Amino acid sequence: MSSFLTKLNRVLCSRNIVISSIKKDDLCLVRSKSFSTGTGSNTGKGKGPVTWKSVGITACIGGGLLMYMQYLKAAKEQKILRERQRALGKASIGGHFELTDHNKKKRKSDEFLGQWILIYFGFTHCPDVCPDELEKIVQVVNKLDQDSSVPKIQPIFITVDPVRDTPEVVGQYIKEFSPKLIGLTGNVEEVEKVCRAYRVYFSAGPRDRDDDYIVDHTIITYLVNPDGQFVDYYGQTKKVDEICDSILINIAKYGQLQSSWF
Amino acid sequence: MSFPNKGDRDKCWTARDRYWECLDLNLEERERCLKQRQVYESSCPAQWVKHFDRKRTYLKFKDRIEKEGYEPLSEEKS
Repeated sequence: MSSFLTKLNRVLCSRNIVISSIKKDDLCLVRSKSFSTGTGSNTGKGKGPVTWKSVGITACIGGGLLMYMQYLKAAKEQKILRERQRALGKASIGGHFELTDHNKKKRKSDEFLGQWILIYFGFTHCPDVCPDELEKIVQVVNKLDQDSSVPKIQPIFITVDPVRDTPEVVGQYIKEFSPKLIGLTGNVEEVEKVCRAYRVYFSAGPRDRDDDYIVDHTIITYLVNPDGQFVDYYGQTKKVDEICDSILINIAKYGQLQSSWF
Repeated sequence: MSFPNKGDRDKCWTARDRYWECLDLNLEERERCLKQRQVYESSCPAQWVKHFDRKRTYLKFKDRIEKEGYEPLSEEKS
């Protein structure tokens, strides 16, 4: 009985050896295979399947993919922005005009392309609203001018009283507010045209004994972007800080749409 | 005709504010503010006086509506 057991044990042991030797051989085979995939001349001493080269290639491909994804994301965001603008529709406010400035120089609206402009419509004989609004616009422009990273905003005053407000009169008037202001006037037809473009209502009231009259008009300040497009408007109730914030947002939005990749 | 310049405007606005202050103190009794009214009228163009008078009426009306409320139209109907 005991001899049988020792025999069995011997057989099992020998089998064990055989299995382990196969395993060892297989391992050797695998290892040599992995080496053979390495550079031919390199014996692969101390190197695993991950080489600096493969790391570099992976990083390049990965980085490239990441950049591409970023690009796609940015492009999609821009598309959404454009789409939103398209969907909301552009207000058909603003447009081409030809007027005379306070130095009697002819000025076309195209001359203002490339800069942000704030337009206010009013008249020099205005009792209270126009001076207040002009004062406000000047404050807005001065505040934004303090930040050199913000593009220059050109404030413009357009008269709705072309009969009395000649270039000289407009010049005297705007000087009281800021040297930065540009005053524009023209003949009745030209002023009517720009007012129609900006949807500004104006109507001269009855004349009194002194031939004086008050012009009733829309009290709105318009923000126009460097492409000459109307982007926002500010009514009488808007405060200086609110207007400044809105202008900054509009400038940022415009920059976002302008910036293109590569 | 030249427009009222900054000095003229300030003078007019000050006179107007004095007159309005007087009206506030005297519960809108114009007779008690004739002096201020005279200064106001001589400091402002006639058109401006007309404009500010209308504005005062409007502001008073607005004030009353805001403070005392108004009777809704729907109640009248029903």
